[in-house]
Amino acid sequence: MAGSIYRRPIAFAVLATAVILVGSIVTMAYPMLRPEMHPKVDGLKPLGALELAGRDLYQREGCVNCHTQTIRPLRSEVVRYRGNRAQEPSGQYSLAGEFAYDHPFLWGSKRTGPDLAFEGWLKSAAWHSAHFADPQAVVPRSNMPRYAFLKDAKLDGVELQAHMRALRVVGVPYTDADLAAAPGAVAGKTELDGLVAYVLSLGKAVERGGGGAGGVDLEAPNPVAGKPEAIRKGFELFAANGCNACHGDEAEGQEEVAPSLVDDAFGGEKGDLPDAAYFAMIKGGSDAKKALGRAGLPDGGMQAFGSELSEEDIWSIVAWLRAKQAHEAGEGEHEREHR
Amino acid sequence: MNDYRYDHQTVQGFTLSAIFWGVVGIVLGLLISVQLWLPAANLPPYLTYGRLRAVHTNGLALGLGGGAIFGLSYWIVMRLCRRPLVFPRLARVHLWLFNAGIAAAALTLLAGHTQSLEYAELEWPVDIAVVVIWVMFAVNVFATVVKRREEQMYVALWYVIATVVAVTVLYLVNNLAVPAGPLKSYHLFAGVNSANVQWWYGHNIVGFLLTTPILAMFYYFLPKSTGLPVYSHRLSMVSFWSLIFAYLWTGAHHLVYTPLPDWIQTLAIVFTLFLVAPSWGSVVNGYYTVGQDWSKMRSSYLTKFFVLGITFYGLQTVQGPTQALRVVSQLVHFTDWVPGHVHMGTMGWVTLTVCASIYHVIPRIHRTEIYSERIANVHFWLVLVGQLLFSITMWITGIRQGWMWKATDAEGRLVYRNFMDTVLGNYPYWHTRTLAGIVFTAGMLLFVYNVLMTIRKGKALQARAAAATQAAASAA
Repeated sequence: MAGSIYRRPIAFAVLATAVILVGSIVTMAYPMLRPEMHPKVDGLKPLGALELAGRDLYQREGCVNCHTQTIRPLRSEVVRYRGNRAQEPSGQYSLAGEFAYDHPFLWGSKRTGPDLAFEGWLKSAAWHSAHFADPQAVVPRSNMPRYAFLKDAKLDGVELQAHMRALRVVGVPYTDADLAAAPGAVAGKTELDGLVAYVLSLGKAVERGGGGAGGVDLEAPNPVAGKPEAIRKGFELFAANGCNACHGDEAEGQEEVAPSLVDDAFGGEKGDLPDAAYFAMIKGGSDAKKALGRAGLPDGGMQAFGSELSEEDIWSIVAWLRAKQAHEAGEGEHEREHR
Repeated sequence: MNDYRYDHQTVQGFTLSAIFWGVVGIVLGLLISVQLWLPAANLPPYLTYGRLRAVHTNGLALGLGGGAIFGLSYWIVMRLCRRPLVFPRLARVHLWLFNAGIAAAALTLLAGHTQSLEYAELEWPVDIAVVVIWVMFAVNVFATVVKRREEQMYVALWYVIATVVAVTVLYLVNNLAVPAGPLKSYHLFAGVNSANVQWWYGHNIVGFLLTTPILAMFYYFLPKSTGLPVYSHRLSMVSFWSLIFAYLWTGAHHLVYTPLPDWIQTLAIVFTLFLVAPSWGSVVNGYYTVGQDWSKMRSSYLTKFFVLGITFYGLQTVQGPTQALRVVSQLVHFTDWVPGHVHMGTMGWVTLTVCASIYHVIPRIHRTEIYSERIANVHFWLVLVGQLLFSITMWITGIRQGWMWKATDAEGRLVYRNFMDTVLGNYPYWHTRTLAGIVFTAGMLLFVYNVLMTIRKGKALQARAAAATQAAASAA
């Protein structure tokens, strides 16, 4: 009896199909019926028009082949991508509910470059624009290809509307107003603008910024000013926390990425501010700009380090910056003397 | 002797198409291996790593894999059914459409039209073409099997039938999408659900394109080329049913530690461990088949291709379940370990088995012997060395980088805060991988040369025979 199946091809094919379907139904089809496969974090909004255009480009250029977009609940990973700044403990890693409007998911399978799931909290538009145009100029020995050509192509608002309509069919709640506003939102924007906007939208559905600057007391003195061990520690912390990635190894700044921290300007304006202003910027990130009354770079995006550095750590970095500043100024005078 | 004609032209057409797309895919693989350590080798917009990787994977899985599966399955089906294909002209149209489809796939991927789903990158118009091509294959296979002249279906046929039905189900479900333009669409599924459907597909399309049809070749061509019967028919049966049952549960082992619900991950891991059994059923069967007479390793040059092929299949199917374990996954997932794992299957198991099958088929189509056994032996060793060098370097650097990502000091701070520090150590291994690719490519070019020269030799013999008959006829 059992052997006769090998003499009846149609029955054999039907049986083989049924056998294949068991696992498919239990692990693929049945979960779709469960709400845990369709969660949504509070306040999740579909991507804006410019960000959506950027996501289409992220797909077109195959970014997913080298970059993942999911932070696993592993301590080392949470720390690396600064999920530890999240307000809620659950926000430290990627949550299912963040991806409810991702058609398809873009988690990837290979991390040739870093994960981008929290990128919206990590870098500035200025950094990304400079990096896309010439990655090796910003990150020496990086193996990322150049995407300067994205600067030359303009985004197409009408095509974008068609994309939004298709997304509406699969369940993304774009309104008629969203559609109508799309061409205006991308008018005059380049493909690079779109891609940068998309990357900066990643991980933003959950609060992971580390909390604002709070009040700034410009009178507060630096308790470790001038102390040699604090200066040494500040230098180590500057490199260990990746400050050099944007501000340069010697805090001299990078053109169109991040300002110099050792010149006599602050927040894009001439005239330095006291130590407490530096302290506030490191602790609270760009949020401190308003309190300090300085605009900074238009695309600038200083991260907040308040939740991972102690106050003493931050003061040490400021102490090192001051020492560095004095050194630079000294060299300048030195040169003048010899001229 | 059989007095009917098998459709050898179509089989050879598919075989040569597979070889052509194989060379394209392998050369592109070499190029993207260089791009990983030399960013200047990217030529935007079309020839960047991001776009070329999909051309490499699709070119080899669908072009080389698909062509070999169609051609060699037709050969196997005709032989095991003792009859020509029921629809020979459909098979010929199938051949041309197949090549047009692969060309369309390559061009659209280069132009950046992709669904961003691994191994399902092709956009909806090309998907439709793929489905049409697959249905043509299915119609011919089923019609021929139904009208066969041999009552019992041999194990190779089971695997061909399972391939036909499983790929149909997988491809249709995961490619459900809503078009947003002539070459743009959005996946019907979202977020975690999209991930779960994709990896149910992604894992199993590898299973049913690069495992079951290759097992069909193995079960057919190993006994054919050695003259040794398959060791255990019962083991074949048990392995077959348990393999196709367990495979479909395992996709989520690609999503360990992601936001996918834990129970799906755990279920996938458990079934992945179980999958060792049916996989090794075929490995044991293969070994004991050749074990009936190990001198075949010396006397028949193809034996070693099959033995090494099934050995890599055996290693692959132990390594896979190992890396599905959470404790291993957290270390090697997302690193170069995984390409090392995949290429042991593709460059080892699949390449060796497919090449041996083609070496078996081409001389028989032309009623001659292989052009050069010595070249085939050199081909074997180059492919073996290239594959081992590739996989071993990737395993080492994968563990190395995974370890650096995880390294923390006593206070819980990262030892390698800067991501670039963990990348730099890859460069020497990536250089070595390119070297491995060059060795492998050299081997495969020898294979192509050997096949083409065999065809040429066969044609020359036929022409001479025809001339002789003509001369005899005119003399009479």
